[in-house]
Amino acid sequence: MAAEIEKKQNPSAESPTGAVLKPLATAARQFARSLIRPSTILYPFERLEDPKFRSEVAVESGRPIGVGEVWDNYRGVHALNVNTCISCNLCAFSCPDLCIEMVTVPGGDPKHPKKCPQIDYGKCSYCGFCSDACPEGCLTMTTKYELSTPNRKDMVYSPQKMFEQFQRKLPMNPIRLERPANEDAILLDAPLCIGCNACARDCPTNCITMLDIPKEAPKPGEKAAKRIWKEPVVNDSDCVRCGTCISVCPKECLFWGTHS
Amino acid sequence: MSDMWINMGPQHPMTHGLWNLRVHIDGEMILGVDPEMGYLHRGIEKISEDRHYNEVITLMDRTCYVAGMAWEHLYIQAAEKALGLEPPERAEWIRMMSEEFQRLASHIMWYAAFVQDLGLMSPFLYGMRDRDLILDLFQSYTGGRLTYEYMRVGGVRNDLPVGFNDRARKVLDWLEPRLVEYDRLCMGSDIFRRRCDDLGILKAADCVKHGVTGPMLRSAGSKRDIRKDRPYSRYAQVDFDVATAESADVTGRYLVRMEEMRQSIRILRQTLDWLDHHPGPVLADRLPRWLGAPYAPIGREAYLLKRNYPKGIGLSAIEEPHGEACAYVVNEGGEHPYRVKFRSPVFANLSAASQYLVGYHVADIPPIMGSVDVCVGEVDR
Amino acid sequence: MAVTTLWDVAYFLSSGLLGVLAHILPPLAWLLTNPNLVWLLSALLFGAILLGASMINTIMLIWFERKMLGRFMDRRGAMHVGYAGLLQNFADGLKLFRKNTFKPREADDLGFYGGPTAYMVTSLLMFGVLPISSGWSDGALPLSMLLALVIFSFAPLFIFISAWSSNNKYSLMGGMRSAAQMIAYEVPILLAVVAVVLVAGTFDLNQIVLEQQNYWFWGPLFLALLVFSIGMLAEMERIPFDLPEAEAELVEGWNTEYGGMLFAFFMLADYLRALAGSILIVLLFLGGWTLPTYVPAVATSLPLAGIIWFMVKTYLVFGVFVWIRAALPRVRTDQLLRIGWMRLIPLSLVAVVLAAALVLVKCLPVFGCVPSMGG
Repeated sequence: MAAEIEKKQNPSAESPTGAVLKPLATAARQFARSLIRPSTILYPFERLEDPKFRSEVAVESGRPIGVGEVWDNYRGVHALNVNTCISCNLCAFSCPDLCIEMVTVPGGDPKHPKKCPQIDYGKCSYCGFCSDACPEGCLTMTTKYELSTPNRKDMVYSPQKMFEQFQRKLPMNPIRLERPANEDAILLDAPLCIGCNACARDCPTNCITMLDIPKEAPKPGEKAAKRIWKEPVVNDSDCVRCGTCISVCPKECLFWGTHS
Repeated sequence: MSDMWINMGPQHPMTHGLWNLRVHIDGEMILGVDPEMGYLHRGIEKISEDRHYNEVITLMDRTCYVAGMAWEHLYIQAAEKALGLEPPERAEWIRMMSEEFQRLASHIMWYAAFVQDLGLMSPFLYGMRDRDLILDLFQSYTGGRLTYEYMRVGGVRNDLPVGFNDRARKVLDWLEPRLVEYDRLCMGSDIFRRRCDDLGILKAADCVKHGVTGPMLRSAGSKRDIRKDRPYSRYAQVDFDVATAESADVTGRYLVRMEEMRQSIRILRQTLDWLDHHPGPVLADRLPRWLGAPYAPIGREAYLLKRNYPKGIGLSAIEEPHGEACAYVVNEGGEHPYRVKFRSPVFANLSAASQYLVGYHVADIPPIMGSVDVCVGEVDR
Repeated sequence: MAVTTLWDVAYFLSSGLLGVLAHILPPLAWLLTNPNLVWLLSALLFGAILLGASMINTIMLIWFERKMLGRFMDRRGAMHVGYAGLLQNFADGLKLFRKNTFKPREADDLGFYGGPTAYMVTSLLMFGVLPISSGWSDGALPLSMLLALVIFSFAPLFIFISAWSSNNKYSLMGGMRSAAQMIAYEVPILLAVVAVVLVAGTFDLNQIVLEQQNYWFWGPLFLALLVFSIGMLAEMERIPFDLPEAEAELVEGWNTEYGGMLFAFFMLADYLRALAGSILIVLLFLGGWTLPTYVPAVATSLPLAGIIWFMVKTYLVFGVFVWIRAALPRVRTDQLLRIGWMRLIPLSLVAVVLAAALVLVKCLPVFGCVPSMGG
């Protein structure tokens, strides 16, 4: 084996020492270039998200440090506008890391407490699905990215804390997703409905109304039903497709579908 | 003491990640190696089975943390095939552009780490500096620098921002002369040639035998490149050459990757030109409810069974920066994929370590392993 | 101009100090004015000044390398502690000083602790014989250059001892590489020095510098300078010849197991040796502290002109080493030894022959006429 191994040795090692001048010249050129300003960004003092600094050094200005207007859609810490939050749960549903918990905030009525997202940044992967899912645009991601802390509990941002981020008016992700034109809607499997009102009660946008339906005439031999039958009717233009009604329906008679 | 085993890893400057190379040495001579992987196993394939199709994308960025876009692209293609969806034309071009930018970033990262292994520190910082520009570009349209979460089943999340194409062209203009500079530091240096020539030889036949793909295979003279052989996305519509080398050694792999960077820039210029003139939607109109664009949850199993979405199997292969990656997604009609399986190119490239390491010196391990371009995230998944 | 030597300074300081003390404490005057005591104290002071100067220079050298390497790499280097990071290395040293010293369980006590200490001490010892300016060391040391090189070549022994006794495979491999490398490169270095000695006609570093009043030796002895510099690069274990501590494969080579102050010893000693190597190059080839003739006499008569001139040259020489570090990858062990034995030794032999020929045909003064050669 040894002989075979020896054969694999580098044969070109016998060539004479020579060209080391090219790399030396390249390094010297870089030395001269960075004498004026090295490409390092002195982070706590210079920040790429600072537009002034950016315009000085970004690639548009001929300097190789950073690429212009890149910061506005950065996915950092969330900002939450508590006032417009409708407690639809969509952010918590869409979170792949299950780091969003809906917690009660003051402002709701005692029967239906208002719930807003609370985010644990120890788990968050900053994927942005929650702000994409938010139908009201109240949960957005800001450019804030410094959240190191010695205490793990500080990583949990309550709705109030995220509201502070909102009030700081940091640049927010400008890219809003268009809702697809022909989205699935909530449909009712009418024969199963018992008219319990749960869906209309829990609908965050109050787009479900319970309407009286004409009672069918009792078949011969049957007693006429005593109670008044009501059925949910969904206003599709107000509906945010959160699915709360589907999940509260005791008879599983609501489902997604198209009106066709 | 005639021979001994040394552990290079799991915490060792050579490994670039968490894996262990057990080396059997006699003095400075390598008698045998035993690569041990699995230190970074996160069960990504299993977690994927418990996530919606779009949620798997967050895992893809973390599978290979230097080539996130490529893996997103890989998975998305398979998932779309499994779900029977077709993305809009513009989305395909944006995906292709993203993948090529990612290839560029990944190769620059490789260059930086590889030359650092040879003891030359300055290219490491040059590489990091130039890669940062590409990350900035990514950030400008995805919002993330490393974990993009950009592609969606049926398209991409959002269109490119205004002025992106010009910025991207400026970055390419900056990068092109840098590649020449990289070459001067390496191929212009006699010491570099002496370190890398005829090192870590793996012939094409051996590559095929061990499933070694990507730049390692192309450096052995094979013209195998999925982008050419089975064009996916819109690679059939752009003009580029497959970079190959004949020497099958570390220098060959270096040359192949450098040439691939140039070809990537060529592809990118064509792609940007196309994107200039073809506005359009980037997300398919008609998506199943739980894939819809405001990322939506939660039908219920009962509903899904009622609705009977088509079942399907998706298989896709792309030329990832490290080699040929493959994804396999089974759609059994639920809201989660039934099974997701990935083929990692680096796993195969790394497993053949004994083929290209035995017989060289201990000092040759860093350049050889560097030329393999190990990304442990995708090896262990 | 009366030459003030460092010894004079030390003597003046100690006698002054003791004089003041004798004035304050008259009962002890008989003891404090004892010339032997004065001599002892001035010897101690001499050593302390030497030690302090070399240590501070070494630390400044590290700062110089960090800043310069930073610019080569398109970054800035240390910049926050002190002005432009001047105090950063002192802060680092303080941090290392405060760290706990630990030892692998099976490591050999004597070797593990003694190795770095001896390495450090011998590296410091060198500065006793390297003259920085005309009056640096008192009296003539007729073989000072040989002494310096002998001390310089102690290092592989101590490195190997500390590597072997730290009971680590990486350390052992690094130590063996280090020993092989240093022994291989001793030979060309000594041969290159022979060329200098042939031209200068003396082993005394002071005399060698004085011989360069008219022309610096790098002109006639360019080949020797080349060999000597490459050899020094290997002796200092700097990139491209830093394979004993090649971090890519050997973690940190022979100082893998060392931390805290023991690591600081290695680090400091490395840079002490780098400083000594640069000083040697300046002394042997670049004219030492002799100022060029075109420098105005006002500048020449300044008290520290020679030393400043000397240090500027030393730092420039070191700057070239930093430049090389920024541009070249590391070579492999077998290549390194091959370069040493098969290229440098023949080259240095040629250099010796060339030097001898130059001396024989007596054409050396020609170099004095070329202004760029110094002179």
